[in-house]
Amino acid sequence: MNIINGGHLAVKYLKEVEKIDTVFGISGGHIESILDGFTEYNIRTIDVRHEQAAVMAAHAWTIYTGQPGVCFLTAGPGFTNGLTGIVNAYLENTPLVVLCGRAPLRDDLKGALQEMNQMDMVKPITKWAATCYDVNRIPEYLSIAFRYAREGRPGPVFLELPPDILNVSVDISQVPMPVSPKQSSAICSAEEKLKQAAEIIDNAKQPLFLGGTGLGLSNCSVPLQQFIEKTGFPFMLMNYGRGALPDNHHLSIWDCGNIGMNVTLQQADVIIAAGLRFNWIMQSGEMIPPGAKVIRIDIDPHEINRNRHANVGLVGDAAAILTQLIPLVSKNNHQEWLQTLKAASRSMLDFELRMKKKAEEPIHPIRLAARIQEFAGEDAFYVAEGGDTVYFGLTGFRSQHKAGVIGTSSGLFGCLGTGIPFAMAAKVANPNKKVILLNGDGSFGFNGMEFDTMVRHNIPVICVINNDCAWGMIKHSQELSLGADRLQCAELGTRHYEKMVEGLGGYGEFVTRDEDIIPALQRAFDSGKPACINVITDPTATSPATPLFYQSLKME
Amino acid sequence: MRFSLLLFILYFLLRKAAKDNKVFRRYIGNIHNLRIMIKTTDGKRGRLYIFDAGTVHSLRGANHAYDAAIIWSDAFTGYKVMLSQSDEEQFKAAAAGKMKIDGMAYFAQWFNEAVKLIF
Repeated sequence: MNIINGGHLAVKYLKEVEKIDTVFGISGGHIESILDGFTEYNIRTIDVRHEQAAVMAAHAWTIYTGQPGVCFLTAGPGFTNGLTGIVNAYLENTPLVVLCGRAPLRDDLKGALQEMNQMDMVKPITKWAATCYDVNRIPEYLSIAFRYAREGRPGPVFLELPPDILNVSVDISQVPMPVSPKQSSAICSAEEKLKQAAEIIDNAKQPLFLGGTGLGLSNCSVPLQQFIEKTGFPFMLMNYGRGALPDNHHLSIWDCGNIGMNVTLQQADVIIAAGLRFNWIMQSGEMIPPGAKVIRIDIDPHEINRNRHANVGLVGDAAAILTQLIPLVSKNNHQEWLQTLKAASRSMLDFELRMKKKAEEPIHPIRLAARIQEFAGEDAFYVAEGGDTVYFGLTGFRSQHKAGVIGTSSGLFGCLGTGIPFAMAAKVANPNKKVILLNGDGSFGFNGMEFDTMVRHNIPVICVINNDCAWGMIKHSQELSLGADRLQCAELGTRHYEKMVEGLGGYGEFVTRDEDIIPALQRAFDSGKPACINVITDPTATSPATPLFYQSLKME
Repeated sequence: MRFSLLLFILYFLLRKAAKDNKVFRRYIGNIHNLRIMIKTTDGKRGRLYIFDAGTVHSLRGANHAYDAAIIWSDAFTGYKVMLSQSDEEQFKAAAAGKMKIDGMAYFAQWFNEAVKLIF
């Protein structure tokens, strides 16, 4: 008889069926047998300093590897600490598997350590959540969890595993192990709808293709390239869709930035939105001109007409839909329109283009991003996180890689603290590439202790702090709404975050002059350690995201 | 001359709208000290519009600090395009290099949307 305990059985499934090799979490007594399972089955554990970082890093792992990230949380506070990360993944439709301990079922209602109702808290923020009550069914429950996470519109799932099943043994030969759970079906659209879409596409004069996270998660780079190059549509890929085609593709309009996209949208006659929600960042669809024809591609039928009527809605997986569309559309060229929109955008971006080249003190964040890009180039992964800092990073960085530039706090949840966990996962997933994080000084505070994690696990990320000594977006928004003389909870002051990182065993430098940025980055890279370059930047610099934020909360 | 006159009339209309146009008042809200400049590239003509706590003020001339500026290559183009009140004409002017935005482009767009509300 081959005996195995529940914790080991769970990990055996992860390793042998799902081929999981890396997980994120924090240890805890309630999940000890799972921890020992990681040793037994040789799964790499990245143990962090706060559970929210574990969930965020697992979320990021999904984005960088295409495989659902897995994290483990212990009961009670471990669970509640992870909630922020779970909500973030839920709102970003990211497949993620959260394994969580709980107080023993045996001791329910007795006042057990960390006894609480976790399930009712987590159900509204997950795609699927369950407690497993039978050790023999652990693999089956895990299989269901992974299926729910991946299939249809993806999302985080939560599996609660009590000690009552983790810490008991079974005969492995009596436990059915699911097979081939990765086999999934692609949802496609009806021929008639596809033909309607193709007709609109062929008659477009000033088109624009917008792609979002749905593109990134559908793994559709090949059909996307064929579709874009056949139709000649200028395109912009956002969120986790960015990099499905490289930023430097000749039809990409990333060099026009978000402002260029806004200006272009106003003049477009046909807009394809693929895997992209018309949420507040898209001004709930209001930025789409009323006369434009809109084709929406989404795996979720509820998104098709959300916030903007679609002339044609194509429900399904983006890769499958694009593959269906390619033979139906004509070869076309919109070069003249592309040149016009780029020229118009350049006029709108005159200020930003000048700032990129202007060496001055204090350093403008646009210039800081440009100098970082000069150092790391396009063969690197960039993460931007903060308020205004996200805008400066997203518009300033270019990468040739899928998900090569991600603004981790620019999603629906606007979740600060995500930058360091994302950068950490990016580096673990791509150990031979430079990973650069541009982090706001405010948001650095949420997960700055993860430098300890990166030191312990030798994850040499370079974090550049865009330090305006304030909660910049809040401060500038308050200046608009309350007045500069009534700022509240907006200032942070000059702090030597780089010394904190040095104290944890990393590399740190403090920079105030333009000419010191690149040498400091080079020394940080040469150190081979996780590094923090704390750059003091212009405290008056504001991004367009700030007034957008201000406007979105104005009620009268 | 016509351009400068247009800028002055625009100020008059904005100020009036701030007093008696509810939709416009709601749009500009309680925004504090937002300065929008409209000027020609040579700096010979221009006007600054200041939105502050629901009011609109203005200063003549192109030499004032601003948050965003709409800069026209020449007064004639500025006059013609602004009078057209057409986003498409603005886009074409920008594409032809006859109109540029300096400073925060979003505020210039915000200003253009505000102007639409007074007609």
